Amino acid sequence: MVVLWQSDKLNLQIKIMRKTIIQGLITIMLFFSTWFALTQIDWITVFKVQKVTDKTEEKLGDLFLEIFQNNEKENKNLFVVNSIDSIVTKICSANKIDRELIKVHILDKGEINAFAIPNGHLIVYSGLILNSDNQEELSGVICHEIAHIQLNHVMKKLVTEIGLSALISMTTGNGGSEVIKETAKMLSSSAFDRNLEKEADIKAVDYLIKAKINPEPFANFLFKLSAKDNEATKYLTWISTHPDSKERAEYIIEYSKDKKTKYEAVMTIDTWDKLKEKLQE
Amino acid sequence: MITTTKFSYEPGEHEAEKASNSYLMSLIAIVAGLPLPIINLIATLIFYLGNRKGTYFVRWHCTQALLSQLSMLFINSFGFWWTVSIIFTEETITSKYIAYIIAALIFNLTEFIATIYTAIQTRKGIHVEWWFYGNLTNLICKSK
Repeated sequence: MVVLWQSDKLNLQIKIMRKTIIQGLITIMLFFSTWFALTQIDWITVFKVQKVTDKTEEKLGDLFLEIFQNNEKENKNLFVVNSIDSIVTKICSANKIDRELIKVHILDKGEINAFAIPNGHLIVYSGLILNSDNQEELSGVICHEIAHIQLNHVMKKLVTEIGLSALISMTTGNGGSEVIKETAKMLSSSAFDRNLEKEADIKAVDYLIKAKINPEPFANFLFKLSAKDNEATKYLTWISTHPDSKERAEYIIEYSKDKKTKYEAVMTIDTWDKLKEKLQE
Repeated sequence: MITTTKFSYEPGEHEAEKASNSYLMSLIAIVAGLPLPIINLIATLIFYLGNRKGTYFVRWHCTQALLSQLSMLFINSFGFWWTVSIIFTEETITSKYIAYIIAALIFNLTEFIATIYTAIQTRKGIHVEWWFYGNLTNLICKSK
């Protein structure tokens, strides 16, 4: 009798346990299916999150651009602007990038540097153009910077290093001009982290190949500048801020090796020479 | 979701009050613990430990309150750290994140309402068993 009673009790216990497990699983499933169902709605559009971020980026871009334009003279020479535009347009159209998104500014400065600031502004110093041996080298650097823009590295870096709240307060005029200046300086003279740089390099090679521009001179450019003597290094901002140029050159060569395409020049040699002449004026 | 069943004995006035308090404890802690999900759990845990040697009815309800808080802890902690990573790292707000927060809010709200209802009922000496948690409590909490 006692044994029977005990086995009944055990059966009941097992029944409750089974019921609990099933109910527990249903509860967990209920949570995940609620979550999944809710992800079907595009909340970013509903809450206009993107709009706020885009507005912030737009304002930041204008803010930083103003600082650079105040410090350096923007080269508005039609021939120079059109020549660089022709390179950018070719890269953009071959890679289905909205040309309107990339806003190129050429600033007269001896520094060998090019960098992206928020909202698709791409700043190229005349020093970079003058120190490029051919248009392919320049195209490589431009592609690398366009890749940073397209991969949203600029905003990512700003958010990581400065924080979203500080960025928003900059755009509302509470940031303080010193902070804005320092941030602008950081954008022009420091690299992204290693992984982001590599990602941009690889993307740049893809862009170059699609635009039928030979990526090899881009790798050579890195090699050449990393090997230059010390005296020149102070002008080589783009190289000194982008570490391991040799290694980068190597993986660029490696990556582009098996992608044989027929390359063609964006502009004629004459145009390229004339561009340099105009910049030296 | 919530079933009112007969308890093995009729709880006394004092017991009903204590059992009801175990739910109130988690409600009061919500005010303090909203940003930090663990505070609710600690509050109910302290109350549970304090009443471990109480009568069966009190123990039973302390356990149910604690268990419900425990699962909320998982949901809320995940949401909490996700939010922290958005604020401090390069993680950005996505539709997935917003959906998670809404789902977590729905579950928290359900739990909140259930807690208030249960606190009122147990105060009256009525035994309330929740879906899943009731059974789980039955397995853990035994009459001596």
